[in-house]
Amino acid sequence: MALSDSELITQAKSGNDSAFEELIFRYDRSVLAIAFKFVHNSDDAKDIYQEVFIRVYRGLKNFEMKSEFSTWLYRIATNVCLSNKSRSKKQLYVSIDEQNESEDDESVNVELADNEMDPAELMANLDLSDIIQDAVDSLSSKQRMTFILKHYEGYKIREISDMLNCKEGTVKKYLFDAIRNLRKKLKPIHQTA
Amino acid sequence: MNHNKIKKWIRLSLYGELTNEEQSVLELHLKDCDECRNELEQQRNLLSLISDKKNEIDDKLLMEARAQLRGAIRNERQHKGYFDNVMQYLNDLTTIPFRAVLSGAALLVIGFFVGYLFYGSSTIDPNKLPDKTNNQFSVFQDDVTISNINFIDSDPSDGEVEFTFVAMKPVYLKGRVDDPKIQSILTYSMLNEQNPGTRFNSINAMYSERPIKFDKDVKDALITVVMTDENPGVRREALKLMKKLPYDEALKQAFIYVLTTDTSSGLRIEAINALVDAGKKGFTLNKNEIDLFKQKLQTDDNSYIRYRTKTILQEYN
Repeated sequence: MALSDSELITQAKSGNDSAFEELIFRYDRSVLAIAFKFVHNSDDAKDIYQEVFIRVYRGLKNFEMKSEFSTWLYRIATNVCLSNKSRSKKQLYVSIDEQNESEDDESVNVELADNEMDPAELMANLDLSDIIQDAVDSLSSKQRMTFILKHYEGYKIREISDMLNCKEGTVKKYLFDAIRNLRKKLKPIHQTA
Repeated sequence: MNHNKIKKWIRLSLYGELTNEEQSVLELHLKDCDECRNELEQQRNLLSLISDKKNEIDDKLLMEARAQLRGAIRNERQHKGYFDNVMQYLNDLTTIPFRAVLSGAALLVIGFFVGYLFYGSSTIDPNKLPDKTNNQFSVFQDDVTISNINFIDSDPSDGEVEFTFVAMKPVYLKGRVDDPKIQSILTYSMLNEQNPGTRFNSINAMYSERPIKFDKDVKDALITVVMTDENPGVRREALKLMKKLPYDEALKQAFIYVLTTDTSSGLRIEAINALVDAGKKGFTLNKNEIDLFKQKLQTDDNSYIRYRTKTILQEYN
């Protein structure tokens, strides 16, 4: 019978490396998927993955199991993603700790308006998945992370608020803003689809 | 009912985030409101469009990430472990504990300072003074370097001052390469020395045609080096020594990692040769690994590696 997370944590804390591996291998595909969707670069995603689990490795001895291991892990993962400085430096990410609730919707909206293209031209020049990816990438980091966790990974808003360490209302705001911006960005293909 | 609120509810509804009661209210509203039904349809289309773009993580990326993580964790663990071992060993080299040496030496320096204060400016040659610490490691020997003096109390008004400092002394060591203490120092060096030449020499010093019994830490360190060292010459030397060790799962994973990720074709060839040899000895590959090799067969830009990959698939099957 498979051991529970807390049993594996106890064993890992006492120096059992196999237990630590078994524990993280339960979640690492999901962490890598989130990282990859967030940065869209294999090398950056692997860097984030490594940073997350090194932090887990270092911090496990102080983890008191007051919350679920997965919540703690994903909180670390989202923080590492949001504070990641991309190798390619294509994007500037901000930390979740910076409590700038105003977000940068205005700048995003301006950019979106400027970037709207003729649908035919868009379809001719780019793969559909690239267009969608560009649209997701154009979201602010908090909107993007919230959207990835909700839409692609299927977490509940309550869970996301635990991960991002903010209120559920704030998560909803990020999600609504993300959808509104995506709709605007994808309007040309959305209408032709 | 406020349409803006309903639009938000539509989004939440599509993600299954409404309560039963809210869902009922929404459905009731939708029956009578064309605008909101249209909104629902648009939202549904949009999310469906975006859902088509789901990027599944492929196994190769996950395996690479896991291999790198194993190396990083091993490194993390060893940095502390080797530091402890080396400090223990250096302590063994001196006849009394290092801290006691420093305390004795500090007392001596305090003595010189007080003497200077009370007996004027005559020159004091510390080397001519008796060594009151009376041990093998005197801070007044010519080859000892003193640095990082930090004052705890620099006020001489009560006749005493107090400080700490770092005393470093070159240590001469000669011993058999299978001596765990020698291996411990060389292992520390291959992981931590800044100079790649020194890292290279530390690995090379353990390479011998004679069979040598290596400590498990040496194997772990070599795997870390081969995965993480930035210098290809150092990585290659580590790989060469790894081939002398008894083949096991950890080594196999390291060879596969080199084969699939290293930018140096020379290293990839070394790795695939090691895997071919292991295959001849009866070692097996799992399905994921076989798939990786099949992929390698198609993608590697080096024709020799493609040829050897073909061989390996035959050897292991």
